Amino acid sequence: MIAYNSKSLDNRDILEQAENAKERAFITPEELEAVKAAYPVDLYTPNPYMRIGIFILTTIIMQFSFGLFCLIMVSAMSEKAFSVLCFFFGIGSYAIAEFMVRDKKHYKSGADAALIWIAGGFILGGVILAANAEGNPWGYCLVTLILSTLFVLRFADVGMSIVAHLSLLALLFSVLAYMGTPGKIVVPFTVMLISLGVYIVSLKLSKIHTYRHYKACLQVLQGVSLITLYLGGNYFVVRELSIEMFNLDLQEGQDIAGGWIFWILTVVLPLLYIYLGIRRKDRILIGIGLLLIAAMVYTIRYYHSVAPLEVAMTVGGLTMIAVAYGLIRYLKVPRNGFTADSAQERNMMEAVQIESLIIAQTMSHTPSPQPDQYNFGGGTGGGGGASGEY
Amino acid sequence: MDQELFERLQKEGIISATSAEKIRTVTAHRLFSVHWELKTILYLGVLLLSGGLGILVYENIDTIGHQVILLAIALACAGCFYYCLKHKLPFSREKVPAPNVLFDYILLLGCLLLITFITYLQVQYNVFGTRYGMATFIPMAILFCAAYYFDHLGVLSMAITNLAAWMGVTVTPLQLLTENDFSSMPLIYSGLLLGIMLVGAAAVSKYKHIKAHFTFTYSNFGVNVFLIATLAGLFTAFDGAIALWSFLLVGAVALFISQAIKHKSFYFALIITLYAYVGLSYVLVQLLIEIDDIGAIYAGLLYFIVSAIAFVILLVKLNKKLKKA
Repeated sequence: MIAYNSKSLDNRDILEQAENAKERAFITPEELEAVKAAYPVDLYTPNPYMRIGIFILTTIIMQFSFGLFCLIMVSAMSEKAFSVLCFFFGIGSYAIAEFMVRDKKHYKSGADAALIWIAGGFILGGVILAANAEGNPWGYCLVTLILSTLFVLRFADVGMSIVAHLSLLALLFSVLAYMGTPGKIVVPFTVMLISLGVYIVSLKLSKIHTYRHYKACLQVLQGVSLITLYLGGNYFVVRELSIEMFNLDLQEGQDIAGGWIFWILTVVLPLLYIYLGIRRKDRILIGIGLLLIAAMVYTIRYYHSVAPLEVAMTVGGLTMIAVAYGLIRYLKVPRNGFTADSAQERNMMEAVQIESLIIAQTMSHTPSPQPDQYNFGGGTGGGGGASGEY
Repeated sequence: MDQELFERLQKEGIISATSAEKIRTVTAHRLFSVHWELKTILYLGVLLLSGGLGILVYENIDTIGHQVILLAIALACAGCFYYCLKHKLPFSREKVPAPNVLFDYILLLGCLLLITFITYLQVQYNVFGTRYGMATFIPMAILFCAAYYFDHLGVLSMAITNLAAWMGVTVTPLQLLTENDFSSMPLIYSGLLLGIMLVGAAAVSKYKHIKAHFTFTYSNFGVNVFLIATLAGLFTAFDGAIALWSFLLVGAVALFISQAIKHKSFYFALIITLYAYVGLSYVLVQLLIEIDDIGAIYAGLLYFIVSAIAFVILLVKLNKKLKKA
């Protein structure tokens, strides 16, 4: 199923773990060399920066090649010809991706990812052009789902697994929306149910040895499905989407049917995620739970503004610092298998650099007064002085 | 770490018994680290608190409450710096690790509150006179001092963005391109000057061993600002001194790339070559536009295909060279 040589991927994993062990001085450099010799890795995986560079350049090459083809065929250009060209290009770039993987041994080199994304985009574009149909988009969702699932199975591409999950939900959504009122009512619950299903399946699969090469995809799927599970039940999302997509005529302050169910879900789910995450020591559950606390606060504030924004920010900030401070004090000695110390010093330097860039981005603009407040209380000094003419 | 794997490696005789034992002990006592989760909460807390207080002060101008808030800010700020001074490890010209997780964020909060306080004093009472420069210069100076004294990369980045703001350029990562009006020559010149200053600061940090780990932050901002300013110069002055700007770009790229290769930085090698590629493509496209012929369009498309392929090959070669060197 997977395009890469399974043995190479296993060796790559072994080497990664050995390198990690060497960084932490559990094994000696000589032992690492021995591992390298015993488990050779023939895959071409350049460092992340090269990956980004190769990704961008591959995209440029394909786009301009497409432009060149269009230009050559510009005289014979009908919509049909254009859609054929799209198909041709999509299949072509898929073939190149296969070639890169099989003969050039590319593995997450940037080129393979760029090529399959371009392939997916062009084939989908070709389908849309060929169908040329207005109306319900479920067909396009289905094509996207099939394509992205294929690419996930073949190349274990993490981004494609997100696309696959979202297109599955979009497919359900468009089918249910097509079925009239009963369909529309069950949309939130279906989304939640399917998300829960995807979460449980990907959690189970990620622990099975056979699917080890898809581990990254399955972990991302867990995170994404937890988020969509929450969004399916979030009061804000359900209410605003009902108004937006189903033309529900709601007055300001009017409640949606069964609103209390969604309010309970909005508040309880993030807390449940965090609780389960702590119980099971599951980083994904904890991380997503923390993220969704923000969504919960936003939702509550949107409908029931308890305090003005700046007061809420101040109180929230103080609470967060206090909670973190308390936890750090509490975990000074490891308790129940938790610690506040970082587990790995590896890549610390890079993480700190990124952190400093985030700080520069988000914190260098200290609040300063709005222009209209600038002269508040000061008065304009230049008013008086009548000139001599009077 | 997968213990079974290392057991297997030991059986195969690839790793020694002592190494395997080390890994066994570690995996047996493995702890679940919430380090990054806590750091994220702290970071967001600091962001919200400083932002909230910053707005509160201005919202409540001319009421009694606002002096209470101002006092609260001053006290909190003093408290933060007191904490930092009490817990800090002795100053050194080398990297000084933070004594604990909390320290970095308390310092960050202290710096942010101090800037809010100073800006407020300036706005409300004109403490630093009407010279606008002073209002940004003083926070900048404080941030630089704090960054060096307490050894904090985040504060250093903030100091650099403030330095840039003082010189009239915006250099926060996402706004470097969007918020600067790079069609005005004075701004381009300040950009060039700022870039040179930052690259110079990077060199001084590195070779004089004054906080050598600050080098990356300085050269990252410096190289980006300098090359973007050069490209902007090239774009703006296209009708005029194009040769001059091209020479500047070529010279800068040659200099930076040799440094990147010397220090084995993939990151710098990549961004510098990308800037060079943008410059080259711009000049060529402009020339082709002047030809104004259907052949020129073909040539342009072919240029991008061929050059991008060549560029990939160059990157792969460069990658190999950096790995070997």
